Amino acid sequence: MASSIRPAGRILARASRTSLLSLESPVTRTLARPTFFSVGPEQAARTRSSNGITTLRRAFSTSPTHCKAPSMGQLKARNSTGPFSWKSALLFVLTGGGMIIYFRVEKERLERKRIAELSKGVGKPKVGGPFTLKDLDGKEFTAEDLKGKYSFVYFGFTHCPDICPDELDKMAEIIDKVNEATGGEKIFLPVFITCDPVRDTPEVLREYLKEFHPGIIGLTGTYEQVKNVCKQYRVYFSTPRDVKPGEDYLVDHSIYFYLMDPDNDFVECIGRQDTPDSATRTIMEHINDWKREGKPLRKD
Amino acid sequence: MGWLPWSSDSSSNTAADGGRIAPDRSSRQRCYEGRDLFFSCLDRNDILDAVKNDKDAQRKCGKELAQFETACSRAWVKYFKEKRVMEYNRDKTIERIKKEDAAKVEDLKSQGWTAR
Repeated sequence: MASSIRPAGRILARASRTSLLSLESPVTRTLARPTFFSVGPEQAARTRSSNGITTLRRAFSTSPTHCKAPSMGQLKARNSTGPFSWKSALLFVLTGGGMIIYFRVEKERLERKRIAELSKGVGKPKVGGPFTLKDLDGKEFTAEDLKGKYSFVYFGFTHCPDICPDELDKMAEIIDKVNEATGGEKIFLPVFITCDPVRDTPEVLREYLKEFHPGIIGLTGTYEQVKNVCKQYRVYFSTPRDVKPGEDYLVDHSIYFYLMDPDNDFVECIGRQDTPDSATRTIMEHINDWKREGKPLRKD
Repeated sequence: MGWLPWSSDSSSNTAADGGRIAPDRSSRQRCYEGRDLFFSCLDRNDILDAVKNDKDAQRKCGKELAQFETACSRAWVKYFKEKRVMEYNRDKTIERIKKEDAAKVEDLKSQGWTAR
C-alpha cells in the first residue's frame, strides 16, 4: 500500500514545486539584477548616473528574458495542465481502485478470521473433540490423525434413503475441486463417520463409499464410540441400541459438513444450500488464509 | 410383499464381517423410480397421505405400490410416504406466507408507502 501512495506523493511534490517556481520567477528576475553585473553598489550607482536610466532598463530587461525564455515556456506548458495530466489521472484512478479492492478483500479475510476464531473461543471448542474410532482397515483412528490438515467431516449411514447419497455426491465433487485448487497437496481430509455402526461395518462402508469417491476416509466403531463422536460434534444421535438382525430402520442425523482446521477446531458448516462451487470457495478461502498466516500444514 | 429385492437370499444382504450391505447406486435409482411412479399415481387420484389413506392408495394404485415396495426397503417406503406429506405441507406454508406478504405489501402501498 505504501508503494502505491509514494508516486502520488511525488506528483504532489512536483506540482507544488512547479507552482512555487512560477511564483518565484519574478523574484529571481529582480534579484538577478545586481548579480548579473557583479559590481559593487558604488559602481552600479555610477553607471546609472552616466548612462541614464533608459539604457539600464533595456539591458536588464532584454538579456534575462532572453536567457529564461525556453525554461519559462516549459514552465508555462507544465502549468497549463498542472498536476492533472492523463498520467496522474490514471494513476489516481488505479490507486483508488486498488485500495478499494484491497480494503474489500481485507475486510472479507478478517470476517472469515473472525468466524474461525469465534469457534476457538476460550476453553473448549464447541464442535469437535477427541474421539477414537477405527478406519476401514480396522486400524485405530483418533482425532489426532486429523491434525495438521483441513478435515471435512460428514455424519451419515449407508442405509440413508436420499439425503446422504446426494450429499456424498456433492462431497465427491468438492474433494476433486479442492484437490485441483490446492494443486494436489494432501492437506484436505474428507471423512465419513457412520452413525449406524451395527449395520455399517468396515466392509459395508468400503463398498458404499467406493461408489462416491475413493479419497473419503470411512470411520466406524462400537456403539459407544460412535455415540461419543456424535456428542463431540453435536450431532443428534438416535440409533437404536439393540436391533434384531434383519430389522429395518432409519437413523436421524445431522446433514451438515463440518470444516475443521489443522488444529482440529471447528471452522464452518457446509449445508444443503451450498453448491459444490460455493463450498469449494469457502474451503479454499480458509485454507489460503491459513497459509497466508504461515501456519503449519502436514502434507504427507 | 417382499421388501428388499436383494434380500431374496440373506447371504447377499450380509457382508462377510457381519454388516448389512446397503443399496448401491443402481438399486437406489430403481427405488426412486418406483417411488416416482407411485407418487404420480397418487397425484392423479388426489391422494396426499399414502399412510393415512392406505386403503385408497392400495385400491387405486395397487400395482404401483407393489412395485415401489419391491424396489425399496420398508423403512424407505415409510420415509418417502411421510416425506411427501411433509413437503406438501412445507410448500403450502411457504405459499401462504408469500401470499400474506404480498397482501401486506398491497395494504401498505394503499396507505401511501413505497418500496425502497
